Order: sequence, then structure tokens, then C-alpha cells
Amino acid sequence: MGVFEFMLGRKKPSPGEVARERLKVVLANDRIKVNPELLELIKMDLLKAISQRMEVDEQRVQVNMTREGGLDKILADMPVKRQKIAFEWDPPAYTPAANALKGNKLHVEVERMDEE
Amino acid sequence: MDSRVITITSGKGGVGKTTTTANLGTALAMMGKKVAVVDSDIGLRNLDAVMGLENRIVYDLVDVVEGQCRLRQALIKDKRQSELYLLPAAQTRDKNAVNSVQMEQLCQQLRPEFDYILIDSPAGIEQGFRNAIVGADEIVIVANPEMASVRDADRIIGLVEAAGKPEPRLILNRLRPEMVRRGDMMDVADVLEVLGIDLLGIIPEDETIIVAINKGEPIVYDKRARAGKAFLNAAQRIMGEEVPLEDVEDAPTLMERLRRLMGFGPALTEKRVRS
Repeated sequence: MGVFEFMLGRKKPSPGEVARERLKVVLANDRIKVNPELLELIKMDLLKAISQRMEVDEQRVQVNMTREGGLDKILADMPVKRQKIAFEWDPPAYTPAANALKGNKLHVEVERMDEE
Repeated sequence: MDSRVITITSGKGGVGKTTTTANLGTALAMMGKKVAVVDSDIGLRNLDAVMGLENRIVYDLVDVVEGQCRLRQALIKDKRQSELYLLPAAQTRDKNAVNSVQMEQLCQQLRPEFDYILIDSPAGIEQGFRNAIVGADEIVIVANPEMASVRDADRIIGLVEAAGKPEPRLILNRLRPEMVRRGDMMDVADVLEVLGIDLLGIIPEDETIIVAINKGEPIVYDKRARAGKAFLNAAQRIMGEEVPLEDVEDAPTLMERLRRLMGFGPALTEKRVRS
């Protein structure tokens, strides 16, 4: 570091150092072996998990690797065809519904269709 | 005979594979070894010209593989070294003229006759590259201290590993000491740090190499050329001799020191040691 740079309190990296640092980033990306086959497997796993709760448009699902803010991310784009919300309804004992069900649970399914 | 097949490759083109093959081959022959240099860049024959043997070609690698001639007929004896032979590439065929099995058989055919068989690989990572490494015991990667070349070298290291070959060694070619000194070029430690392989040699950029290639004479014959000396040292290391690494990064001049002190020059890059 030269005297003037020292007084200014900064040190500009040399072109050689810039090349080294850029190369490190590039190689880190090259070495992450996220191949298309692995992405396809991840896509299937995601579909399996999501399909239990929601119906997605499988033809339009896209799963890709991306880089944002210095971090690798998996970006999944999964358009929802129809929301399917299902739950077991166990009404509180004091309600009339509980009497009607006689201690049983009620299976409720709510669907919301896409506006198309 | 204990022969060794060594493939010289790089990924990127134009970094000095052919020059390295010609010079390492010549250097090994100068030290009394029986050497064959094989040009496996089918369709883009060049090793013959670098060695000044382009006018002597009758048969080529594809002719041998296809049984058009015997191996002995295709091997061209060097002008100066009696124990150095060239097997040229075919010029009018494409790289699919030979497959991996044939290349491996060719290496087996050459082994009993030679101490060292150096294969000059084509650029790229396709079939030609695979053919070049299939029969190799060792791989030497040639890289220049610049991003594209080092990046490709890293890719090649991965492919060599995947092919089940031992860890390759590096020839860092065309290093410009004055640029490294100014901090304008990556130094040896930078490249080794990112690639993580062992160094076989450092070849400084040398104008006389172009003159040597123009004449068809390997630079190792030029006693004054720094690059020639560096290739000789690398050849000795191939033979297992301990040769200290060439000190290509000489001390900065007084003017450079002054400029740096005043803050006008690029900052001094501190020397890093490979961990």
C-alpha cells in the first residue's frame, strides 16, 4: 500500500487480485453440480409434497437454480390450479354441531376454483 | 520396459499444449530417453509443424488405427534426436475417425517401444479429449494465468478425476513476471490456490518461442531462452528429479519500489503460501 493510499484509508485491488477473486466466484458456481437430472428429482419431490394440499398445474411447473444476493437459491414456479383445503372438524362439545355429530369428526373439504 | 503415457491437455485452445508436448518430448529425448510424441488432434494437425517435421509425413495416426500401415511406418524420426519419434494426426479426417478403444490399443502398441509416450490432446472436452486421456497414466494440464484458461483447467481436472485418472499436474505457461510484479496478472500462488493441484513447471512468456516455432525448432535447444530452460526443468521433474521451481518473479526494480512507496503504482501483492 502506498503512502497516499494509506492516508486515504483505502486500497484498490490490483487487476491480478480482481482476477483471482472473480475466478474464485466463477469456480464456486461451476463446481456446484446441480445438473438437470437432480433438478428434475427436486421438482418431483416438490410436486409430491404440494399436491397433498393444493392442485398445481404440472405442465407449467418450473424449478431452476438462481443466484441472488450472493446466495444460491432454488426458484420453484408452481401455478395453482385449484386450492384444496381439507381438515377434520372436531367442534367444541357445547355447540349444537357436536351433538349432531355424536362425538365423530367431520371431514371438511373446501375448494376454490381458478377464475378462468 | 516401464513406459509412461502422459497426456498434455488444457480445455481451452491456444494455451500452449502443442508447444509443451514438443518441448517436453524433445527435452526427455535429449536426456537419453526413448520418446514418442503423438498428435491426437485429428483434423487440426500441428505438432508436426512445431517440431519441423511437416514435410516427412506419409502415414498418420488414423492410418495406423485402421490398419492401412504398420505403426513403424507412420512413426517419423526426429531431425536431431535419434530416439524421438512423432506420430502425426490425420489432417483430412474428423475427430470421430478414432474411438476410445482404438486409442487405448494404440497406447499399448507404443508402450514396448518407448520410455515416454506424450499425447498432445485437442482443445475441448468432447470425444477427442476423451480419446487423448483414455490410455494415459498421467495427465499434464497446461494453463495460462488468466481467467478463461484457469476456469477451463478446473473443468478438465474434474473430468480427469471422473475418468479415474490420478490427479493431474500443472504447467503454468506464458507467465509474464513483470505483469505479476505490478499486480496486473495472477501469480503462481493465485492459480495453485484455486486449482489445488501440483505444479510441474512455470514457463515464462518468451518471444523467442515464436521464433523457434517459426523455424520448427523446439525452444529447449536455445540455451539462452528462459522458456527453454523452464521446459528442460519440467522434463527433469517428469523423470522424478528434484529441480527447484524457477524464480520467475524477480525482485521489483528500484523505480517500481519508489513508485509504490509514493502510491503511484499498483499495490504490492503479498505473497501467499498454499495451505
